[in-house]
Amino acid sequence: MRVGVEVGGTFTDLVAIEDGRVRVAKVPSVPARPDEGAMASLAAGEINLAVVDDLVHGSTVATNAILERKGAPVALLTTRGFRDVLFLQRHNRTQIYDLFYRKPKPVLARRDILEIDERISGQGEVVQALDLAATIVQLDEFLGSGRYKSVAICLLNGYAEPKHERQLAALVGERFPDLTVTCSADVTREFREYERTSTTTLAAYVQPVIDSYLRRFESQLGAQGFKGRFSIMQSNGGRLPVAGMSRNAITSLFSGPAAGVMGAVRQAGLSGHGDLITLDMGGTSTDVCLVADGKPNLSGETEVDGLPIRTPVLDIVTVGAGGGSICWQDDGGMLRVGPESAGADPGPACYGRGGDRPTITDAHMVRGTIRTETFLGGKMDVNASTAANVFKSLADNLSMSIEEIADSAVRVADANIVGAIQLVSTARGRDPRDYVLVPFGGAGPLHAARVAEELGIATILVPPNAGVLSAYGLLASDFLQYETLTRRILLGEGAADQVREVFAALRQSATASFRDLGILADLAISYSLDMRFVGQAFEITVDIDGGALPDLTPDGLLALFNEAHNRVFSFGESGLHRAEIVSFRLGASAPPDVVPALNEGISDAVVRSESQVFDLGEWRNCHLVSRAAIAGEAMGITGPALVEDGTSTIFVPQGWTATVDGQDNILLHTEI
Amino acid sequence: MAVNTVDQAVISQGLIAAAREMGVKLVRSAYSPVVREANDCSAALLDRHGNVVAQAELIPMQLGPIGATFRPCAELFPTETLVEGDFYINNDPFQGGQHLQDVFLFSPIFFEGVLVGFGATVAHHLDLGGGAPGLNPDATDVHQEGIIFPPSKYNMDHDWHGGPLERLIRANIRVPDQTIGDFNAQFAANGIGGSRVQGLCARFGETVVREAMDELLDYSERRMRAAIRALPDGIYEGEDFLDDDGITDAPLRVQARVEIKGDSVIVDYAGTCDQVKSNVNCPYASTVAAGLSCVKSVLTSPDIPFNEGSKRPIEVRAPYGSLLNPRRPAPVRARMLSAYRAYNAVMKALAPSAPDKVIAAGFDSTEIIVLSQLKADGYAIYLEILGGGYGASTHGDGCDAVDSPLSNCSNVPVEAMDMEYDYFRVEDYSLLPDSGGAGRYRGGLGFQRRYHILADDVTFATYSDRFRLAPEGLFGGADGVCASTQVLRGDQVIELPSKISFPLQKGDILVARTGGGAGYGEPGERAASDIERDLREGYMTQAAMRADAAE
Repeated sequence: MRVGVEVGGTFTDLVAIEDGRVRVAKVPSVPARPDEGAMASLAAGEINLAVVDDLVHGSTVATNAILERKGAPVALLTTRGFRDVLFLQRHNRTQIYDLFYRKPKPVLARRDILEIDERISGQGEVVQALDLAATIVQLDEFLGSGRYKSVAICLLNGYAEPKHERQLAALVGERFPDLTVTCSADVTREFREYERTSTTTLAAYVQPVIDSYLRRFESQLGAQGFKGRFSIMQSNGGRLPVAGMSRNAITSLFSGPAAGVMGAVRQAGLSGHGDLITLDMGGTSTDVCLVADGKPNLSGETEVDGLPIRTPVLDIVTVGAGGGSICWQDDGGMLRVGPESAGADPGPACYGRGGDRPTITDAHMVRGTIRTETFLGGKMDVNASTAANVFKSLADNLSMSIEEIADSAVRVADANIVGAIQLVSTARGRDPRDYVLVPFGGAGPLHAARVAEELGIATILVPPNAGVLSAYGLLASDFLQYETLTRRILLGEGAADQVREVFAALRQSATASFRDLGILADLAISYSLDMRFVGQAFEITVDIDGGALPDLTPDGLLALFNEAHNRVFSFGESGLHRAEIVSFRLGASAPPDVVPALNEGISDAVVRSESQVFDLGEWRNCHLVSRAAIAGEAMGITGPALVEDGTSTIFVPQGWTATVDGQDNILLHTEI
Repeated sequence: MAVNTVDQAVISQGLIAAAREMGVKLVRSAYSPVVREANDCSAALLDRHGNVVAQAELIPMQLGPIGATFRPCAELFPTETLVEGDFYINNDPFQGGQHLQDVFLFSPIFFEGVLVGFGATVAHHLDLGGGAPGLNPDATDVHQEGIIFPPSKYNMDHDWHGGPLERLIRANIRVPDQTIGDFNAQFAANGIGGSRVQGLCARFGETVVREAMDELLDYSERRMRAAIRALPDGIYEGEDFLDDDGITDAPLRVQARVEIKGDSVIVDYAGTCDQVKSNVNCPYASTVAAGLSCVKSVLTSPDIPFNEGSKRPIEVRAPYGSLLNPRRPAPVRARMLSAYRAYNAVMKALAPSAPDKVIAAGFDSTEIIVLSQLKADGYAIYLEILGGGYGASTHGDGCDAVDSPLSNCSNVPVEAMDMEYDYFRVEDYSLLPDSGGAGRYRGGLGFQRRYHILADDVTFATYSDRFRLAPEGLFGGADGVCASTQVLRGDQVIELPSKISFPLQKGDILVARTGGGAGYGEPGERAASDIERDLREGYMTQAAMRADAAE
């Protein structure tokens, strides 16, 4: 049996697969002790751990450790003269007119940083050698205090030559074997000292927390007879056996949203769709991600609580538009939605728990797109008249009816989501019209059609059981690890041979590392180069087809780079500047066994009825149908229609047709 | 016909997102460290009349008067004569430009043959010729500061891409590969803004987009006027001083009279000293930007989109021939320094009536460091922009070590320098304890950079301020600590003034220390826990603590 357990902020979800059958469970999370929620979900799913051979786990432990500043006491060793890098940061402001501006707060204090006498040059040569004897004296005094559990080592230009970092790590390891040690060279090998130091420090900060959390969880599993493989979800969309987490804990940040994307990729893939834009709309925010040919876009840059992180993560853009987002009017008279949210408590006004400001969920209730009878599968008591009342003052101010203001608020939320999708598509040189929109999360399927219209997208795929898609994504994800190396190579004669050499070495190291983790399957390898014109500082990722690698030429590489540069920046080579490779990235992945469709618990009740929705300025009669009712119609159901499917409702506007395919995905289609 | 609420929201958001994307792509495809690392550049979308409707929030100084930089171009070469591929260029300080290094490019955006707006970018170019690489502190007129592009119209196909304008520029500047690369990044960013606006036109129709642009301006104007109305009417005065003009030691006076009347503001700089012989003269467009930025920052929430509409309620006047509105051919390269005092004077004027909205004076200077060397294969020029400590406010301590309010440049990572420059190496980049003025809330700390010079014949050029006249504390807070620059040569310590060019030799250590911000409120009212933290973390030393107590 294979089991995925995803611990989210509110719920812990479980998906289990046995003999091609899928089982799901949902229990409340225990924020202070996430493993308790996880164990509870196993109990709720009646899982016999003794017969589980594959358990995949995702949690918010790493993210929360940073947000709540509950990581391990961490010390930082850095080059003499650069103690303040984490406080100086990049010397800019994110709000240019904010007189009271404050910088993001690092996870350690100034006195937690020790300067070491040494210097490596930008070319990787030793300018000033490490004085081992003197360093030992310093380390003994500084770390001997016993204040720290974890040590980050990030030296200037350590990305070019990690020799001194390694020597320091060895010294610390010898003298303080109980401390966890994290070198920048093992976490990220990109230049720019602030971003690299921030990444390394955060990695060291969360490592002991993850280590002890996983140890505790593993021993509980063991006590219940679990003997299978235990793996952990990463922010890059792949998983790693738990042993792989012992030096990579930072990759478990944001694993929840990544798992959702992977679940969407797998479920849409069953229907033959690989070019996707995922739209995960929850209570407070919406996450979107672009997937090309079954592979989600990666980003080398992300941040948590304003602190930069430079490790490859899924390129997920988050916007503050969710079911709980507050609708309001600003002092210039404009209707706004979010980023403030009513959250889970008090929640939308219609929950009747004291929320007195209108939210998007209330707006749906007013316009009839959410029905009180069936909200959250009918398990929740909601009040439609409260929802209408809280819109009254907004409606008066803007001289609109209650329905009109609710309808407008939903469309403003749509506009916010459209903006986020443009960031991952148009702004990256991708045309959203070439993609299928895959909505999930509580409210995603309600907004998808209008969002698609704004973007010119003609097809929407709504997966079944969209509420546990993240847990399903855990099981659907590959084992995945990236090997990266920064090495500048000017494009010219011999460059292609150097590329082949570097990739061969990276491949060897990836294979060895997977072997150490007990993964012996054939590896799928992906290759990419970060390239730029000489003199530029930011690189463009150029994917290299593994099959074409043996015959790759410098001219061919230049052509690939030019095309990528042109796509993003709308200009290419002008004859002025030569191109260069800056870094190499090799992805090694091993797919898990075949994963069946997520079709458990789908109701086959045929419901056909009529209802009314307020859409685009007027009340309209609409079909009210169940999934099984659509499946019964060869030509599908045409909008306006509401499809109530378990815990989610799909809104099919006029001009759209809904059908169900053989993989239990509901497809919406329109003529653009 | 008014655009409906939803379309207005979608189009406004689309315009702001497009401007932001232009800014990001300009930075990421640029070549010189001053643009790609320090982000000394800005981007905006203009309507067809040249009004800024949306901007990428990069550098307040450059964004303030983009409309004013545009207008002289359109007066000489009317917009109705423009065709696809045309662009306007302007850097003339006496016709809407600021200093020569900031070159503004405007590319028209057409939809189905109709002009709908302009993509606009400005970047600080590393070197545009003139009397010295990167910065000529000794210039006695604007012609010694570089090449002037008067308001003009050119065409990409005809004049760029190896054409006459590109060749003319290339021949007159010292690091053409980087500079032409940066120009290309500007053109490309303009093009990206153009295609996003065209996308909006295709979706909503050109008329609706045009009306939404008009409404976006009105919207910002309404919000700005609402904020001004909340202040009591009255006439308020403030003044501040530059240390000197770099030639004599006499302080230069900047005087502001701020009149708040209903929902509008007039800032009048009458009483400011006459223009000077050195490069601290501030062109009128820069003065306007300084006044506007201060009023906007103090009065309104950062949330209000800044565009031509938000400028309508604010009028800025400066006497012709003064430091803040100089006559041609005054040198203007260091105009930021006077612009900051114009900013400080308005801030001080507003302080009594808006004590919870203002901040105490900070370092509030742009310190420029240029290290250049003539090598066998041409010039190498390194330029960076240093800020310092922010002034404190009733909301808390001033921000430590950050670029000053009218600018927003990032630092150049030391690893980026190490990769590309072999004639110097930064060996220390750290906060300066005790540099913030004491107070209930203390001023932000300044910082230092120590450059170890690795070759002979390196030229150092700089301008800065607040070396002698400290930023003043507010409501009982203490002044911030002044900035300084030293060269350590063997046993010798050479103190340098704030505005100078100085030859360096191998082995020299150049130490640049920027100033701290001033405090806010009586130091005796500072919370014990804040003092304890400052001492524990070394933001403040015991010695400084005792000195404060003795006062």
